[in-house]
Amino acid sequence: MYQLIAWYATLFFVFLIALAFSFVYGESRKLREYGPIQEKGYKIRKFYFLALIAVMGFASSLTLSRLPYHAQHAKAESNAKVVDVTGYQFAWDLSDENFSVGEPVEFRVTSKDVTHGFGLYDPDLELISQTQTMPEYTNALTVTFDKPGTYKIMCLEYCSTGHHLMIKDIVVKPKGGK
Amino acid sequence: MEAKARSLNKKAVAIALTITSIVLVLMMIFGVIMLLNQGNVVKISPQLFYQVMTIHGTGMVGIAALGGSAIMWYFLTKYIHLNPKIYFTNLFLSLIGVVMVLVAIFVFKFSDGWTFLYPLPSASAKIYGSTGALLFLFGLLILGVGYLIMYFYIAVRFVKEYGSLGKSLGWDYIFRGKKGYGPPAAVVASTMVIIANSVGIIAGATALVESIINILNPHITFDPMLAKHLTYAFGHIFANCTIYMAVIAVYEILSEYTGRPWKSNKAFLIAWNCSTLFTLMIYTHHLLMDFAVPQWMLIIGQIFSYANGLPVMVVTAYGALMIVFRSAVKWDFASSMMFLAMFGWVAGAVPAIIDATIVVNHVMHNTKWVPGHFHTYMGMGVVAMIFGFMYYFNKSEGTQKQNGFDKLAIATYFLFFTGLAGSFLYAGKISVPRRWAEHLPEWTSSDQAGVICGIFVIAAAIIFTTRYIIGLRNIGRQPQQKKSYKTAS
Repeated sequence: MYQLIAWYATLFFVFLIALAFSFVYGESRKLREYGPIQEKGYKIRKFYFLALIAVMGFASSLTLSRLPYHAQHAKAESNAKVVDVTGYQFAWDLSDENFSVGEPVEFRVTSKDVTHGFGLYDPDLELISQTQTMPEYTNALTVTFDKPGTYKIMCLEYCSTGHHLMIKDIVVKPKGGK
Repeated sequence: MEAKARSLNKKAVAIALTITSIVLVLMMIFGVIMLLNQGNVVKISPQLFYQVMTIHGTGMVGIAALGGSAIMWYFLTKYIHLNPKIYFTNLFLSLIGVVMVLVAIFVFKFSDGWTFLYPLPSASAKIYGSTGALLFLFGLLILGVGYLIMYFYIAVRFVKEYGSLGKSLGWDYIFRGKKGYGPPAAVVASTMVIIANSVGIIAGATALVESIINILNPHITFDPMLAKHLTYAFGHIFANCTIYMAVIAVYEILSEYTGRPWKSNKAFLIAWNCSTLFTLMIYTHHLLMDFAVPQWMLIIGQIFSYANGLPVMVVTAYGALMIVFRSAVKWDFASSMMFLAMFGWVAGAVPAIIDATIVVNHVMHNTKWVPGHFHTYMGMGVVAMIFGFMYYFNKSEGTQKQNGFDKLAIATYFLFFTGLAGSFLYAGKISVPRRWAEHLPEWTSSDQAGVICGIFVIAAAIIFTTRYIIGLRNIGRQPQQKKSYKTAS
């Protein structure tokens, strides 16, 4: 979902910017005194500045309440199934590979050599969640699978020449299924 | 004496631009080779792919810095005396650094990327031998020393001319109510770069030294998270400062072509002070997927990454639009490139800011969305400013005139660079990971589209470079009279 939002928001804002540059280019061959242009320009800029602040403030208030760090920083114990994940050049080890739809899973991710990236892809190859995989650190990430199928764990941090080989398939069974 | 220094400074800038333009083309070719492999059009070994990736990243950032520094040096000499020996020292050290990096990559197969994460070089050294890793790390260190020497020298000159770095950043006008306009825009921007990039380079040097020590004595280890902070503080600041150096050309050239001064008023000075502070703070947006980092630090990464867009969007880009609006500006290669480069910078800032949103980063970090946004503001921003400045330099110091090829090359460059950056962003939208030697069949079409666009971008860059190098022959032969760049109207 966020990929789509990012894509269309980028297209929209870049289109607006292109429009502004095109308009100014179209007007550039005319000649008028700079003083009045500056005066009017500065007035418009105040509103432009406030509009940008409003958009950024709105985006912040909307998104900062949905951070993915809950499992890492939560004090209370959760009821999620804990799965230890270890990345190493160039494979993934999971302490448990039985997953079902609707069951919250807390992946505790670490590395035993260099930094990797734990990227979880759904059966349609859409990235649904990720965290960094670092030596000496454990990152906790909670995921609840919402559809059955074969998911992939792929490395999302460059870790040397076998980086692209770090793919592991995991099968998520239907709810209550075997 | 002064005339000799002026002439040597121009020679130094000409050499730096020549190296920059040739290396840019080479690095673009390496970029297309990577896309060809990812798009399954040609096959190279993963080892070679990652070597090419390492030289492409290191070379592009390094050369953007060299081109940016040439712009900064050239325009600063209009306002203060600068000793050309310092720039030549930086050039010489850069050259030594580059040779070491090239030997490390192509002879000793170093392939850990330009923003390698500790302890990756140590792990690679155990497999491929420590010579390549050490050559690469020491090469970068020498490059950094060259830039630090140049920055510290300029800082000393600013202190002598303006009293302090605070004054050359306009603090008198912001905090002490001094009336009028602050120092020239080139001086303000350079002060920001000196402060931010010196901090960035020192952070990077610390990370390099940590890796070097760990390779030489594996029993001495460091905190990988601290090393990561240092690496991204360096990478983020250094890459950003290439823009802040190159944008001086926008201030100077658009102002000259429109006959309208780009003065450093209070808003301008506040914007550059904010850029200084924010650029130092926001590298944490590279660590948004490091859940072990304190949450407040990551939230700062999001909020101040948004805020860092404001100085460019509200002051510099808006200022460029205002200065050009109804100015009867003469559109030639230099003015067109500066105007389009401002578009490229702001257009690239949009997906970058969106990616700094934590919930978005959670599903887009380290996908091709990331090279998508930085290729937009580097390729269509910084590099366009450098190419535009190359033409301006030959025109101001020689006899270069625009021809039909130039117009065609500009249109080709921007049209196909939009396609190239778009193919990366689209790949990010469909979750294609970055820095993968081989792509799944579902991903290759975006790579192939990127290849086609990349070939046209290279063709345009070859025209820019050839025209620049041919134009160099006339430098100083026919000094032009200062003239108005405005069209008769």
